[in-house]
Amino acid sequence: MTTSPPVLSFEGVTKVFHQGDVEVRALRGLDLVVHPGELTAIVGPSGSGKSTALHLAGALDVPTTGTVRVDGVDLATLTARERAALRRDRIGFVFQSYNLVPVMSAHENAASVLALQGVPEAEQRTRVASLLEELGIGDLADRRPDQLSGGQQQRVAIARAVAARPAVVLGDEPTANVDSATAERLLDLIRSLNERHGTTFLLSTHDERVMKRVRRVVTLVDGKVASDETVGG
Amino acid sequence: MGPRLAVLAWRNLWRNRRRTLLTLASIGFGLLLAVMFTALQDRNFADMIDIAARMGGGHVSLQHPEYNDTPTLTRTVQDTDALVEVSEADPYVDKAMVRIQGQAMAATAGRNLGVFFMAVDPTREDEHTFQLSKGLVEGSWIDGPDDPGLLLGRRLAELLKVELGGKVVYTLVDKQGEIVSGVGRVKGLVSTGAPSADAGIVILGLDTVREVLGYAPDEATTVALFAKDPRRVRAMRDALVAAGLPEGVAALTWDEVQPDLSAFIAMKVGGARFMELVIMILVAASIFNTLFVSVLERTREFGILLAIGYSPMQLFRLVVWESGWLGLVGVVAGGVVTAPLYFWLATHPIDVSAMTGTDEALEVAGVGMPPELRIGIFPENLALIAIFVVGATLLAGLYPAWRAGRVEPVEAINLA
Repeated sequence: MTTSPPVLSFEGVTKVFHQGDVEVRALRGLDLVVHPGELTAIVGPSGSGKSTALHLAGALDVPTTGTVRVDGVDLATLTARERAALRRDRIGFVFQSYNLVPVMSAHENAASVLALQGVPEAEQRTRVASLLEELGIGDLADRRPDQLSGGQQQRVAIARAVAARPAVVLGDEPTANVDSATAERLLDLIRSLNERHGTTFLLSTHDERVMKRVRRVVTLVDGKVASDETVGG
Repeated sequence: MGPRLAVLAWRNLWRNRRRTLLTLASIGFGLLLAVMFTALQDRNFADMIDIAARMGGGHVSLQHPEYNDTPTLTRTVQDTDALVEVSEADPYVDKAMVRIQGQAMAATAGRNLGVFFMAVDPTREDEHTFQLSKGLVEGSWIDGPDDPGLLLGRRLAELLKVELGGKVVYTLVDKQGEIVSGVGRVKGLVSTGAPSADAGIVILGLDTVREVLGYAPDEATTVALFAKDPRRVRAMRDALVAAGLPEGVAALTWDEVQPDLSAFIAMKVGGARFMELVIMILVAASIFNTLFVSVLERTREFGILLAIGYSPMQLFRLVVWESGWLGLVGVVAGGVVTAPLYFWLATHPIDVSAMTGTDEALEVAGVGMPPELRIGIFPENLALIAIFVVGATLLAGLYPAWRAGRVEPVEAINLA
């Protein structure tokens, strides 16, 4: 266990949603700390609060009570605009359905966060080209999403998430929509990025293959941590 | 590199090519309608004003301050030569013409009738200052300002039962209120285009009438000024007034002299503006529909964009860019469709005599208009329509853009 300051922390976090007259308590006092360089999976049954935890970690939402800190910043203290800036600068997202912008090429998708950050174009070009090469899709840089396979799209999504070197990359079922072989290759890539660049990953998943390839598995049940295990990976 | 918002918006526009093309078609058609409608009105009204000016007191009329309210021959202006000289030195003024105009009685052996007479100097007038210069249908013009002959409206000649060479006695009231008469032979017949004018117009020589009325050699009822740009008559009048008019001389614009025509045009312009507004609202509704549906379809995508770091303001701007592109491309597409039709109609007036049932001119607000549809749009109105279309497009995009910026990322991402 590292002693570096955490990139992500949940302290007594609750999240309550209202669906009509029904009150849904998605998180019921979640405590969780993620340190730099960790490769962590959050698992649990449906309704356990995985997605809610991921949304809070991604500054897409704010807790009902408790504190969520991303890279030391308390989300509750930020305005919507500041949270947008935090997502842009400190957080990377990989979604289940890739969610690339269909009118951008692979290169442009991967560079989009860098462009938002105002990174000079020449630097964007160099960094993204090298990243796409590393992910094995360098020759597909000019293709648009509809010209790529599911696995290739997910690699572009990973490139987009890590290009700006965020403090943490959040993955929402990143292997759910690809076949086994592609899932294995994606996990190889995630492991490789984690080991070579120290990229921190927090992956929400049901996928057994993911659980076998991470170093830490946090199990949520009823909105709380039921177990937190360090695994071999 | 990541594309800028403008580039992204441009590409988004073509994601649903058919919908975008349909929207562009509606913008283009709206522009075509607005331009044609405005061009028809602009040309029609410009022609009416021009003809009215050339039939009467010009674009700006220098006259006795009370002449317009009570146009009697006792209310005159003096030193007309000096007024002409000063006026023609004004940068707004193209030409200045001295005229005497008023009511008279015309009598022949057969009948006598009340008429409207205009006394002009035919050596100075031309078709740009006097509509009837090209209205001669029979005989010849009077030779000079002191020619004792006269011209009659074609219909008036019929009513007076007089032919070319026939004698006409005209009776006027002079400056002292005395009845005076002149006599002349009919040298020519003219047609104004307006039936009521044709039945009542007499044209005389300026100096001939001065002598009959006992006017001084440089005395008249009106100095008619013609503007280089007829749309700037008010500025022309203001400049003349600012330069200082002699005492006893007032400067009135054509719309002050002919309030009926002015009111008619104002009413028609108001109607045209209303129609243009309706067209623009229809265009805006079409754009709104396209953008709104497009934003609703992309709610999840907007959620993703927010997640990766786009700010709500950037999404707002993205959709505003999309509406701006729609407007601009719509104007260009509309221009491509409109230009050939416009230039063809501008050079090929449509003959509507079959619809009006006569080959003669149509009298509108006392002005005889040729029975043909002509178009010609003022450049500023064309620019205004283009700005209006782009403005309406941007306005129509504001709400969808606002909706895009208000997307809740969690809800949007969770959409199936």
